[in-house]
Amino acid sequence: MSFLEINNASASFGPVSNRTHVLSDINLSVEENEFIAVIGFSGSGKSTLMSLLSGLQRPTTGEVRMDGKVIREPGPDLGLMFQNYSLLPWLTVNENIRLAVKTVFPKLSKKEIIAKIAHYVDMVKLSHARDKLPHELSGGMRQRASLARTLSLDPKVLLLDEPLSALDALTRSELQDQILNIWENDKRTVVMITNDVDEAVLMADRIIPLTMGPKATLADPYLVGMERPRDRQTLNDHPEFKRLKSEITNDMMEINKESKDARQEITPMPDVRPKDFSLPSARIRLKNKASQPTSVA
Amino acid sequence: MADSTKDKIKYGLLKFIDLSGFKVFDPPVRLAFGEDPKKQLSDIGKFMILPIIFVSLCIFIWSVVAPTHKTKSGTVPTPSMVWDSYEENSRFSEREDEKMEDYELTGQERLNRIEEVKGLLAEFELKSTELEIVSTKVSEEGAAITAKKIAPLKITLETLRAEIKAAKASRKLELEALAGQVAAGQASTDAILVLVQKQRDLAESEKEERREIDDQIKKIRDDPPESIKAAQLAANKAADEIQHFKKRFAILTTSNKEVKKTLLLAEVAEDEKALTASKDPQMILSKSKSIVTTTEAAASVDEQKFAPTATIFWQTKRSLATVFVGFLIAAAIAIPVGIMCGLNKVVMACMTPVISIFRPVSPVVWLLIFQIVIGAFFLPDPATHPLFVTLNQDYWFDWIKNPIASLNTNPAMIFSACTVAICALWPALVNTALGVSAIDKDHLNVARVLKLGFWSRLFKIIIPSSLPLVFAGLRISLGVGWMVLIAAEALSSSDGLGKFVWDEYQNGSSQSFANIFLACFIVGIIGFFLDRVMIILQKLVSFDDGSATA
Repeated sequence: MSFLEINNASASFGPVSNRTHVLSDINLSVEENEFIAVIGFSGSGKSTLMSLLSGLQRPTTGEVRMDGKVIREPGPDLGLMFQNYSLLPWLTVNENIRLAVKTVFPKLSKKEIIAKIAHYVDMVKLSHARDKLPHELSGGMRQRASLARTLSLDPKVLLLDEPLSALDALTRSELQDQILNIWENDKRTVVMITNDVDEAVLMADRIIPLTMGPKATLADPYLVGMERPRDRQTLNDHPEFKRLKSEITNDMMEINKESKDARQEITPMPDVRPKDFSLPSARIRLKNKASQPTSVA
Repeated sequence: MADSTKDKIKYGLLKFIDLSGFKVFDPPVRLAFGEDPKKQLSDIGKFMILPIIFVSLCIFIWSVVAPTHKTKSGTVPTPSMVWDSYEENSRFSEREDEKMEDYELTGQERLNRIEEVKGLLAEFELKSTELEIVSTKVSEEGAAITAKKIAPLKITLETLRAEIKAAKASRKLELEALAGQVAAGQASTDAILVLVQKQRDLAESEKEERREIDDQIKKIRDDPPESIKAAQLAANKAADEIQHFKKRFAILTTSNKEVKKTLLLAEVAEDEKALTASKDPQMILSKSKSIVTTTEAAASVDEQKFAPTATIFWQTKRSLATVFVGFLIAAAIAIPVGIMCGLNKVVMACMTPVISIFRPVSPVVWLLIFQIVIGAFFLPDPATHPLFVTLNQDYWFDWIKNPIASLNTNPAMIFSACTVAICALWPALVNTALGVSAIDKDHLNVARVLKLGFWSRLFKIIIPSSLPLVFAGLRISLGVGWMVLIAAEALSSSDGLGKFVWDEYQNGSSQSFANIFLACFIVGIIGFFLDRVMIILQKLVSFDDGSATA
């Protein structure tokens, strides 16, 4: 019995006559304090998978369990970090985190709340922007604020839904380091969805590819055998890194190609030739005309 | 550092300008701080000077075109006439205020004021006699000019009259001759019929000619030269002031509160003396009765207030009070109902037919309905209904000053307020429902993850998220309400700008016409400021603009 598991789950939408099967036959087991990365192409159902894990959506069949109990509803135990940050735009960074802290820990005194908020804001290095509204922050800062808010819930599982996809490459590497740092100091179970193989190999203990939709499923996982803490500088020369990277990339390409091929079912057209009702003389004239060279465009 | 405080002031000012929406004042401020003069000057030219020139042009066209159009109430007023009527109304309102003050004065102040008024009266009477002299002189001169203009026409008239008389006489002879001929059988009856007709036609045309000349003479008489008009105007003004001072004198000496009270108390004292001295039972009875009634009257004098005549400024205050009451009622209904509609699709489906059908109904129709329906609450006697007694009191609970005491709340005001409320209700409701229903799904997911309760979710996430649209709806509501109010007041007998316009229209003098224009501008300017206040509020609650924080 692993800490977080999905057993034979599937997710489908739509009326019976026109059902879209987004995910099917999903089996996942995550040990406590393990860092899992799920890799997939766009549109393969990654966000749906995240919704299932966080309880925002119930699976059509199968179940999702955390710590033995079935997850029916979202809650602060499953800290979901949204792809588009979802900071409340009329509250400052401080106030956003405060809302989370007050809701999850209603019994704290004012001083304790302030200390807690400061702790998380400092953890993501946003102390200088604590009183700014979200629209006054850059993308990277917003993501860090969102991370701080999710961490302040003190969740048992951290669910990161493509957290760094909307950022430029430089900010991305900075934030990857920050997330890894925070995780190292305060280990908890993390499931991260990403589309960047490098990111997955750098950060995760196990990488699980998601095949293409519809009816996407989780393929065989890759174990990342590199020791921690992982050094970005030396990573490119690490043999394990290089092996994993090329393997995973190739496999993902295969998955993509397979799905493309599977999609290209050519419907055979009936072999129908029109009957020729023209008079014999016309037929001869046409034939002659056809044999003459016509201008080539 | 000097620079940073200068910058602080500059950016503070710019932020305030942006918040208030008067972006046109941006370039001058920047220019004052020395930023990029060339661009600022060109911006000032484009966005301040040119619009000013354009508006001046419009005013100029107005002042040129207006006098050329004659209506039954005189010519269309020019801008200067409208400005004059504003000054008239100001002065009128001042006079009413002075009278009200005089009414309340007591003791030495009163005596001082009497002296003051006497002095002013003497001064103005002197001025008036001077103006009278000037006026008579000018009118004599004017009469001479008019007589000179009329003289040639008069001569033509005389000659015409003589001609007509002669023609008439000759026609008579002709007719009689022909009649004789017909009688003698020398001419046919047709001939005489034709002649009669011809003569009648000639008589008609002669009348026409005379009428034409008469009209011309009348026109000249009706249009006295400018100097006469001006002199008369000045004389009238002085006469008005004198009247006013005489009235004030009368108030100070006889109708003044203190004076009245003293007189009544003196009466009581006399009656008491007579009562104690008298031996006649009848007299005792009558005296004691009159003592009691007079004492009561003396006591009630304190309660009496001076009742000023309605001025345009009082009407404006009343209109503003009505529109605010109506707007608050509309907001109080629209916002909760709108939130419920936005949260629940079934509620929205229930409200949709109601909204769709009642939204296009005209305010006039609502007003008439309310006069009947709501009037029923105040049926027996509106003046003594507890609601109006409370609203018209000077003090509540003996120490809270009533801000609307002077406004004379009556049922008509309630009807107008309800009409405003029901017409302004719909935009606010629809926009609130839209704001609540169009919340970002992610925000709701955040609420789910945080496991917020219903009320928590409502007040912490749904309402803040929908505030911009709610305020947009409120702004539209206030604009609609102001427009509706003026129409409703014109129709009902509720005092306000609408009633002012209606009264002036019924009045029909040329001064009234200018007053109507003045009212038009006042309505427009107030509407503009109301809208501006709502825009500022809207900007304060919106969180996308950056001007949300102070």
